[in-house]
Amino acid sequence: MRLELQSVGLSFGSNEPQFEDVDLSVEGGDLVIIEGPSGCGKSNLLRLLNRLHEPTTGQLLIDGASAVDSDTVNLRRRAILVAQTPTVRQGTVRDNLCWPFTFRVNRRWTRPTDDMLRRRLDGLLLQEVALDDESRTLSVGQRQRLALLGALLLEPEILLCDEPTASLDGASRAAVETQLETRCTAGAGVVVVTHQDITTFSTTVRRTRLHRHGLQETA
Amino acid sequence: MNPIAIGPGQLLLCLLFVAIAGGASLALGLRLERDLLWGTLRTFAQLFLVGYVLDSVFAIDKPLLVLLVFAFMVFWAAHAVRGRVKDPQVTIFVPTFVSMIISYLAVTILVTAVVVQVDPWWSPQYFIPLGGMIAGNSMNAISLCLERLLTGLRERREGIEQSLSLGANYREATADLLADAIRAGMIPSINALMTVGLVSLPGMMTGQILAGVAPVSAVKYQIVVMLMLVASTAIGAVVVAWVVRRRCFTPAQQLILQ
Repeated sequence: MRLELQSVGLSFGSNEPQFEDVDLSVEGGDLVIIEGPSGCGKSNLLRLLNRLHEPTTGQLLIDGASAVDSDTVNLRRRAILVAQTPTVRQGTVRDNLCWPFTFRVNRRWTRPTDDMLRRRLDGLLLQEVALDDESRTLSVGQRQRLALLGALLLEPEILLCDEPTASLDGASRAAVETQLETRCTAGAGVVVVTHQDITTFSTTVRRTRLHRHGLQETA
Repeated sequence: MNPIAIGPGQLLLCLLFVAIAGGASLALGLRLERDLLWGTLRTFAQLFLVGYVLDSVFAIDKPLLVLLVFAFMVFWAAHAVRGRVKDPQVTIFVPTFVSMIISYLAVTILVTAVVVQVDPWWSPQYFIPLGGMIAGNSMNAISLCLERLLTGLRERREGIEQSLSLGANYREATADLLADAIRAGMIPSINALMTVGLVSLPGMMTGQILAGVAPVSAVKYQIVVMLMLVASTAIGAVVVAWVVRRRCFTPAQQLILQ
């Protein structure tokens, strides 16, 4: 799967555009980092990639074809976005992780077993979290990793992460970065929006910086 | 069996009641005299107007006219809903009006034709008061339901978008929220089933008793009305919530509300 933004701009109402002339292309195997000061529209840029927003100018292409006529649900299922402030649903950790498997679009997918969920939670250093725990009792950092795991379980072709390590300590941050890298090596495209310095990635990373007038590759 | 008719003299006598309230207002400096006067005038004017209109509708006795009066009542009910559920981003009037008129028409016809077995089913003496009660009561249910729905969509925006981002369609992402809203709309009419006759005597029943109907007969009518209101609030809330929710999303399943 390849997602491309072509000279995209975004503005709200009659305000000055938040950004314009942004070009970005992501496909399987890519690892893209988008940096930039807070408030410059990084999160909104991610939201253009899974069509939670429509660009004001320019367009999104999916595998070279305009996204306007495409099936949004299908796009969002393949290119999953994990927001910065995750919401947990009422219910247990297991309920939260298995809920997406009740969606129509996932009807053919088998829901993960408890063993698998346990293993994946441990992989994100959530050993202290039990599958039967009420999700609302989790801390922000735990919720963030729970939301990321919810997305990873669906094996997206492209993973869009908004500040995935914002409220994590060093060890958990490293665990999250490892998971993202693994997903990338498995053939998925990964886009990470962050204001933190991510240095631990060993895969080739494309670093970019979002400006008002475009997205620039940085060294 | 005929009730005692109220003549013009008796009606004027009732102005004494207004005078009592007016006296209290003057004595205590409540400054309600103007409103009292205006309110009394409006009561006379509006009710006499309705009375004469209904008299003519009964006299003309044509189904199209009866349905027009019905549509007029539903129009004002939908208008009241729009007034209460003011939303800067979604227009709810047309969908509310259309869903209200369809669901209320279905319930009213069911009651007159099948339950009460009026012949013909559109007979204004039955159709208009029953239809009016349905419109008036479900208006509250629908306002409550829509208020809950729109607040819920705004407050839980992040959660909804998270579900959308995992591949949910807008119906899946808002299923629990829709259920909450419909429940909020239905609870008052269900609560009314519990308290009716204990806390208050329903207006329609007391009206029939005053008109000389035996209390047990009046009770039977009241039961029909109570149950009919449960159905119409349920259908109205479900249909309107369903239609308005759809309008809160673009065809590309993007939540419009900010």
